[in-house]
Amino acid sequence: ILESSLADIKFAWTEAGLREEFEAEEVADLIQALFAESADLKRYALSTLVNSLLESEKPVPFEFLINGQFLRTTLDEFLTANGISAETTLSVEYVRALLPPTQTATFPHDDWVSSVDVLSATSPAARWTRDAHIDGSRQRILSGSYDGLVRVWNTSSELVATSPSLGNGGHTGGVKSVKFLSPTKLVSASLDRTIRIWSYKESTTSPATATIDPAFELYGHQSSVDSIAVHGPSGRILSASSDHTVGVWTAHKSSAPEAPTDLLPSSLPSSKRRKLSRAGPTVPQRGPLALLAGHAAPVTGVAFSPTAPNVAYSVSQDHTLRTWDLLAVPDAPNTAEVSSRMVAHPLLSVCVMPGLSLVAAGTSARSVVLIDPREGAARVVAKTLKGHANSVVALAQSPVSEYGLASASHDGEVRVWDVRGGSIAVQGGDSQGDEGKGLVVESVFTLPRESMKGKPRKVAGEGVKVLGMAWDRDIGIVSGGEDKMIQINREAE
Amino acid sequence: DIDPESLLPKLPNPEELRPYPTTCAAVFSGHEGRVRSIAVDPTGTILASGADDGTVRLWELLTGRQLQRIRIGDEPINAVRWRPGRDALILAAASGNEVYFVIPLTIPNMTPAVESASRTVLDMGFGHATGKGDTNSASQKIPGSTWSRPGSKLEEQGVLLKIVVRATVKVICFHRRGEYFATVAPSGQSHAVAIHTLSQHRTQLPFRKLKGLPQTATFHPSKPLFFVATQRSVRIYDLSRQQLVKSLQPGAKWISSIDLHPGGDNLIVGAYDKRMMWHDLELSIHPYRTLRFHTKAVRAVKVHPGGLPLFVDASDDGTCQVYHGRVVDDLMENATIVPLKTLRGHKVTSQLGVLDVDWHPRNPWCVTAGADGTCRLWT
Ligand SMILES: [Mg+2]
Repeated sequence: ILESSLADIKFAWTEAGLREEFEAEEVADLIQALFAESADLKRYALSTLVNSLLESEKPVPFEFLINGQFLRTTLDEFLTANGISAETTLSVEYVRALLPPTQTATFPHDDWVSSVDVLSATSPAARWTRDAHIDGSRQRILSGSYDGLVRVWNTSSELVATSPSLGNGGHTGGVKSVKFLSPTKLVSASLDRTIRIWSYKESTTSPATATIDPAFELYGHQSSVDSIAVHGPSGRILSASSDHTVGVWTAHKSSAPEAPTDLLPSSLPSSKRRKLSRAGPTVPQRGPLALLAGHAAPVTGVAFSPTAPNVAYSVSQDHTLRTWDLLAVPDAPNTAEVSSRMVAHPLLSVCVMPGLSLVAAGTSARSVVLIDPREGAARVVAKTLKGHANSVVALAQSPVSEYGLASASHDGEVRVWDVRGGSIAVQGGDSQGDEGKGLVVESVFTLPRESMKGKPRKVAGEGVKVLGMAWDRDIGIVSGGEDKMIQINREAE
Repeated sequence: DIDPESLLPKLPNPEELRPYPTTCAAVFSGHEGRVRSIAVDPTGTILASGADDGTVRLWELLTGRQLQRIRIGDEPINAVRWRPGRDALILAAASGNEVYFVIPLTIPNMTPAVESASRTVLDMGFGHATGKGDTNSASQKIPGSTWSRPGSKLEEQGVLLKIVVRATVKVICFHRRGEYFATVAPSGQSHAVAIHTLSQHRTQLPFRKLKGLPQTATFHPSKPLFFVATQRSVRIYDLSRQQLVKSLQPGAKWISSIDLHPGGDNLIVGAYDKRMMWHDLELSIHPYRTLRFHTKAVRAVKVHPGGLPLFVDASDDGTCQVYHGRVVDDLMENATIVPLKTLRGHKVTSQLGVLDVDWHPRNPWCVTAGADGTCRLWT
């Protein structure tokens, strides 16, 4: 290996895009490090070496990829396990190791937390409005709850604002999904079949107080609206409903179509109607730009392409990921479906990974699959991320690495993955069609619920199912669930 | 010499028969008493349950979140069943000698249109009686079977119709089109098996002279056939010609439950004497296979309704056994039956284990009801 590979060992500083070739004596050090006796010693030696080469003031922990695979054993074991002969050229890459966030904060809630979003200087809603004035004290966390309320919090666990309750212009069922459209506009979706747009206003006093006032309500879905995605610059909203359709809506009231009258609460024959119409402000009602048909089962997740906002993705319990061309909306919604990719399991969550040209989807079969959305692509599932013990219901891309992904599961955990590498699936394992044949990736670390500390694990994540999650560069990984808690995990400063 | 093993047909490996339920994905906690009966709604998003605590509950299937709790009365709820079809969403619940019809107002798929359609289905019979200028002639022939509103307290919760019959109803089964349903009240003697017409609020008793104690019943999906199980046999009646077609002999001492394969030619039978039988109706009146996987009574059996080759049973030993069961159209070839997985999790409580099981309409998921007061989703 020494003779044949020395000159070919190349290092790439992937995050900064900096590439370096080694001096002869540095390569000698590297070889020594690579052949260190124990895996720990080896990783430490490699890390020290790279830090000294980079002349870093503060040592940074690194991970090493050899031929695209994470090196987690000794090199000898690695070469044997992967059937690599000593004659082969090795490509070595080092990347900043993902560190388990050590600082946590929790906010108690009155009821199950179904969904969370964040507002920070680096969050989408702030970037869309070019609002660079969101310092630490103005960072906000948005939560949706099964009690039907939308809440805004500061990062010190203090409640800043609560949406109106049922009868006062609020939702008449549990909230399933919430998003910041801008620093002053919120969107929520509910079991009550509606999507609501809210104006969010903060006082300039300290501590800040704020109000959430209904702007208008969107009608069109025939069943619960379980997930939404928003795009600030266009004011577009996508919705995933258990009525099997994908809704396309506008947050601009003046250009929104009229609401379909047969779905309004005023057409309810039940006594519920009397309860609902009692008092309360009259909130304007609007309808969808389009309801995209195609899925054959509940739609569970929607996403805009971050690089091409006229492209949308949806996932469904019908096992498919569908790609939609929003330029066809509203004139020819029947032609909006671009492609449909089928996997072996019902899909429950979605996240676009633009740097990889892949779409991640969480399954009811306890995995995350990385799907190539293109109709012509030879392989539907590029990789399978395994380790969760229950349905994967929320996904978020790392704010710093195009390879980083976080997944939230009904097993009561959030897992963080680096989707590089992976090993060939063991035959006969949890194999199902395409998923069984691809590469299997294991998670880098796991974030359990703080509320479970010191308590025995319950079957099926009972009491601690994670239901919603967001990942922000400034705030960290924010998650909420059945434990009635919002939990923040972030790296120590 | 020929190895006798080599003559046996090779069974496929369970791994190759995925997907099938293997893992508990949600626990539905809240009932204060044994959960007797469960049913997944026709859209596959809502679970209904009925328990000894006298309540009917509705849950979000995927999360286990309770959406509505309706207190029917003090008597145990022995059966909950959805009316088939998606145009209307109606749940029937049996409590004592009464059957209640519920339009669950809090479930998300209850749009104004679905609610109206559901009300029409339940109320049509009131109009029918009035329209004839007669005070419900059908129920007058059968004193004790009355159709009425259940009172304002229940009506506010969406319970809009009540039928009173002679004895405690243990089983409700709907015809596929939702217009007819049958009730079985084993202690009801000549009134034990009744067939009801929802649109006319009419009750008929076609099986007044039934040999043996009736236990359960089911309708054929496409032919006018009706299956009645007594303790030892399953009788198949032609409803249009009003005659007995066949009497199946499963070989069990006490049948608990039956379910028809959606194709209509194969019937599974569960028995309190720990076994389960598969009958090929074209083949014989005796079972094609008898399956003994349990140490206690089998209380419920269910074939996947959405075309997946799966069936499952529920037992007082606290487990459920999932099987692969593929039916082929070829008359020369028999069904392939392979045991796949034992689902464990329910706690045996006062010698009772799993009391009911139901499938998701499309996915390879099932839900179980336990004497331990919980329901469980398996995926
Ligand atoms: Mg046959």
